Amino acid sequence: MLTAAGLGVGFLPEPGRRVAVVEGVDLCLRAGRTTALVGESGCGKSVTAAALGGLLPRGLARDRGEIRWANGIPCRPGRGLAYVFQDPGECLDPVFTIGSQIRETLPPEERGQARARMAALLRTVGFAEPERVLASYPHQLSGGMQQRAMLAMALASRPRVLVADEPTTALDVTVQAKILRLLADLQRLENLAVLLITHNLGVVAEIADEVHVMYAGRTVESGPVELLRNPRHPYVRGLLQALPQLAGSAERLAGIEGSVPSPGRRPAGCRFHPRCAEARALCREKEPELRSCAAGHAVACWACAEGGWA
Amino acid sequence: MSRPLLEVANLRVAYGAGWRRVEAVRGVSFEIARGRCLGVVGESGSGKSTLARAILALEDRVSGRIEFAGQDVLALDRAAKRAFRRRAQMVFQDPLGSLNPRVQAGAALAEVLRVHGLAGTRAEAARQTADWLETVGLDPAYAGRFPHELSGGQRQRVNLARALCVGAEFLVADGPVSSLDVSVQAQILNLLKSLQETRGITWMLIGHDLAVMRHMADEVLVMKAGEVVERGPAADVLARPLQAYTRELLDAAPDVARALDRRAAAAASLELNRGPVPEQDVPA
Ligand SMILES: Nc1ncnc2c1ncn2[C@@H]1O[C@H](COP(=O)(O)OP(=O)(O)OP(=O)(O)O)[C@@H](O)[C@H]1O
Ligand SMILES: Nc1ncnc2c1ncn2[C@@H]1O[C@H](COP(=O)(O)OP(=O)(O)OP(=O)(O)O)[C@@H](O)[C@H]1O
Ligand SMILES: [Mg+2]
Ligand SMILES: [Mg+2]
Repeated sequence: MLTAAGLGVGFLPEPGRRVAVVEGVDLCLRAGRTTALVGESGCGKSVTAAALGGLLPRGLARDRGEIRWANGIPCRPGRGLAYVFQDPGECLDPVFTIGSQIRETLPPEERGQARARMAALLRTVGFAEPERVLASYPHQLSGGMQQRAMLAMALASRPRVLVADEPTTALDVTVQAKILRLLADLQRLENLAVLLITHNLGVVAEIADEVHVMYAGRTVESGPVELLRNPRHPYVRGLLQALPQLAGSAERLAGIEGSVPSPGRRPAGCRFHPRCAEARALCREKEPELRSCAAGHAVACWACAEGGWA
Repeated sequence: MSRPLLEVANLRVAYGAGWRRVEAVRGVSFEIARGRCLGVVGESGSGKSTLARAILALEDRVSGRIEFAGQDVLALDRAAKRAFRRRAQMVFQDPLGSLNPRVQAGAALAEVLRVHGLAGTRAEAARQTADWLETVGLDPAYAGRFPHELSGGQRQRVNLARALCVGAEFLVADGPVSSLDVSVQAQILNLLKSLQETRGITWMLIGHDLAVMRHMADEVLVMKAGEVVERGPAADVLARPLQAYTRELLDAAPDVARALDRRAAAAASLELNRGPVPEQDVPA
């Protein structure tokens, strides 16, 4: 549906200076499929997502790579993409009713039968009494209801790609499960391509078809969601080992020492090497490229190369 | 066996009056033994935070009985309440909001030490501050940092040090790790556990992540609409729940291995092979 190739985003603090924030990211979003973008805070997930829709904040610019629709037509900012965020406050205006806010995002040709279309949208996202919700102000709805109203608003523009940035992080598990099921249903019914950003690997395993793990602005491993059973990259293995288990886990959790370097302070060589227990001299010197290691599965790590260390 | 550190019996907390009156906690009873961790789970609005505030004497309209180390918490006079609030504290609530943005981490600790008369001299305060930072796993060099110069996990650690340094022995952590990366979450959870083991800190941990509860809690309390639906050892309640509601929470908990197994099984049974999905029109 939508592909991004060699996506690069730079922070341009002053003329002539560029700090790379996102580097060489390739994404392929398919209709009816969910791609998850994961990684620790500051790895560049939101910036990548914003770059897709041309929504980068001031100071950041997508100045590398290209974004195209499946038919080869370059993607124009804002067309065909819709966003849902963690904090409904970012999307919903407290002084307008839900109805008037959804109306704004309807395509012009549908404003005629706005009422009926909005009611249908709200039913799609699971509201039994759409009329009441349309007349409500955001504060009159619970967190989960606001999240669903925001989804309805995103769907109103009939997007082909839905970007959901941490859509369930602020919700409790039962509501989270409902929203995730809803996202999966919508994706199937509307044949949407979904880009799901989350730091919850459990959520990824529940609904994603493909996973894309980012570290410090780059893709370190990507492939079908099943790769989470046996990830190759030490970073991805570290993220999984840090998780407590429902079935009970060891006395001490294995965290990942250290933290994500900020753009401009990324080390030479493999950018994960200072935190990697397996790092060797090569990792400090040369950056590994993202290489295919199995069907649809790629990893950027010297230790994961064919036949052991490259 | 000594008495539990905290005993709560038939606790009720109400908000509002007349037709607006809501009873947020409706007759909750439990106890926590010294050095143990009680996990409190339940859907949003079930009364977990209200329960915690009531125990820490931060709510007014409370009935029932709360006994902390043999003292009746609901009958404390002002002086006794002050002493109680040093021993029993809430940590991790909005770590950025609860730290003064213009005060460096070290100065914030030294300040509470002085206010509580725990450090006579400036040098003494500095020495203790460095010790506490180390206890919570922060290099003492961080004493000179302002809150905005610290990461989320580091701020959590400063908050924790501030509670510990005045002699807290019972700590309530409301959603302590929900906003942290799993890597940082693991470090903080390890820290909480080691404080429990080495310093005998008693914890009440509130949250939505059942895997975290399974890892941390000795006992869990499952709440719904202000009442306790199920209570018992974490290893039992979260493995063999007796109540349908607990099972519902468990089923909703996202878990990597379980989700992948479930999906693999579903795909196999349906022989689901979607094949290539037809591409749709793309916007011009
Ligand atoms: N407007 C901006 N100007 C300069 N740098 C920015 C800007 N926005 C983000 N960054 C930097 O870009 C990097 C990636 O940020 P991004 O928000 O994409 O992270 P993320 O992976 O979404 O993290 P989180 O999980 O915390 O949302 C960060 O180091 C951040 O400091
Ligand atoms: N100050 C208040 N005034 C009136 N009602 C309140 C107040 N604080 C909480 N409530 C109500 O009491 C009930 C319990 O709220 P509480 O914050 O204890 O839930 P919780 O279990 O902590 O939820 P969450 O998981 O979302 O934090 C809710 O119905 C809430 O609306
Ligand atoms: Mg983000
Ligand atoms: Mg709460």
